Amino acid sequence: MGTPALVERLMSARQQLDFACNLLARPSPEALESCSSVLEAAGRQLAEWQPTFSQQAGNAAALEQAWQLRRSFVRTSRLLQGAGDFHLNWLRLRGAITGGYTKTGESAPIMHGSRISLRG
Amino acid sequence: MSNLLASLTAAANSLETYGRVLETAQNNVANASTPGFARQSLLLYALPFDPAGGVSGGVGAGKLVAMRNEHSEQAVRQQTTELGYQQQMVDSLSAVQSQFDISGNQGIPQALNNLFQSLSAWGATPSSQAARGTVVQRATDLAQSFQQASSNLYSQASDAEHQISATVDSVNQVVSQLQGYNRLALGGTRNDSGLSASMHAAAEQLAGMVDVTSTFQPDGTVSVTLNGGTPLLLGDRQYKISASLYQPQEPPPTNLNSPALVRIQASDGTDITSQTTGAQLGALLQVRNQLLPSYIGDAYQAGDLNVMAKQLADRVNSVLTAGNISDGPPPVPGVPLFTYDAANATNTAASLAVDPSVTPDQLAAITPGPPELSNGVPLALSALASPVQSADKINGLSYSEFYGQLAGRVGTALNDATSSKDVQQSLLSQAKDLRQQYQGVSLDEEATILMQFQRAYQASSKFITVLDQLTQATIDILQ
Repeated sequence: MGTPALVERLMSARQQLDFACNLLARPSPEALESCSSVLEAAGRQLAEWQPTFSQQAGNAAALEQAWQLRRSFVRTSRLLQGAGDFHLNWLRLRGAITGGYTKTGESAPIMHGSRISLRG
Repeated sequence: MSNLLASLTAAANSLETYGRVLETAQNNVANASTPGFARQSLLLYALPFDPAGGVSGGVGAGKLVAMRNEHSEQAVRQQTTELGYQQQMVDSLSAVQSQFDISGNQGIPQALNNLFQSLSAWGATPSSQAARGTVVQRATDLAQSFQQASSNLYSQASDAEHQISATVDSVNQVVSQLQGYNRLALGGTRNDSGLSASMHAAAEQLAGMVDVTSTFQPDGTVSVTLNGGTPLLLGDRQYKISASLYQPQEPPPTNLNSPALVRIQASDGTDITSQTTGAQLGALLQVRNQLLPSYIGDAYQAGDLNVMAKQLADRVNSVLTAGNISDGPPPVPGVPLFTYDAANATNTAASLAVDPSVTPDQLAAITPGPPELSNGVPLALSALASPVQSADKINGLSYSEFYGQLAGRVGTALNDATSSKDVQQSLLSQAKDLRQQYQGVSLDEEATILMQFQRAYQASSKFITVLDQLTQATIDILQ
């Protein structure tokens, strides 16, 4: 595989991760579901292409593109982590608000949807 | 007839209630861009209904409540603090980096290259007065470059001090503003949506400046504490912080008369610098108390710029004084070229100079040997450009490489801060979007969202682990 083809492949993987970042900037459950398909596709492609990368070891243009891909990955990962931390903390808080704490001191599991919690 | 009238009255009351619902909605739309404003909702309740008893039912308007989610507000403040830190690091490091030129076209690298070139030229014509004069001139230029670099870094330190002082003033000012809001809340205006919006906007502004926790209390007030626990605002009482220069005394300083550090003190005088690690103030303290001292020194370190100036001056002087100006008899020994303030290790670069009493013909060129070499000294000095023996190196590096390392340290920190700032901007906008999503959502709806979210998050997390390995492996293969 020539340099342009390799660079193009790495760019394509990076564009997928950038698209995932855009989805994660507004992390509704629907956006997150779409995001997991995008991440899966990017991962599958990279795994498929990886055996051909060794032919281009030392290629500066490809390496630069690989670093950009890595930076996009780090951003994606941080955004997913940010969304995860937010929701999981809220899940714990909501559990504690509606159900108190378990015997082991953890937040109670959150009440299932379609139920209403009333307080006198 | 009376039933009909009662029904009409109930319908009229209901219309009035819906009118208020509409007004609430209009107010939400009008304030969509007001900082800190949270959507409001009018609570409705059913009126008693008993046709037989003449009670006509209908709907009544209850309390107006803000659909504010404090968890999402806190998440936005947390990301604002992180962004405040990274933004300030980028600004401060950009200013510091501009003092380090690694292109070799100006400053210390250029002066160093010019000196090495003049030494080579002198080695080729050791008795040339012109070549000797050029060496003295280039050495003077190099000394001035060290003085200039040191002076520029001191200016950066002074700028950072001013910025720290201004940021501390701004922190006290915003906390004072919040104190005013707390007084209003304690005076009975606790359910005012405008007041709540102002309080949240001020708390968000504060989060960008200093690493604090703002806790909104049931009485409508906000408590602000530094993350180490020092209070800044409790109820209607403000605790001001201050910034000042100081010389640490414990452990006893190794460098007397070194540049002072900046400390932050609580209202009772306690040193709270170590609690101030985040946001804009944390970044300024990091640059002022950690990064800049690594170049210009402090009570416990000489600073790399001073280390480099001292080692270069000492090495040049020792080679010159080991040589002879003439072989006599009796032989006339060489004299040192550079002078500096030997009493203060943090003042070497700032005080580095060429001894004004040294004239070009006093430069020793002869190494007594054996074998005696008429150009042994200039050859030994020009070898400093590409050193082989450890005495000609500084920390195992050539002087140019050592300088490159100093400059590279700021460059690397700036690159890291720039990438982190970009990611942080995305995280802040994500947190603001989440705040928007969660405002006005009912508890029931929210529970469903959280369940859906958990499933989707778990699926994405699996692929993140795989991509982490794949992207890193791609770099490793291509390197």
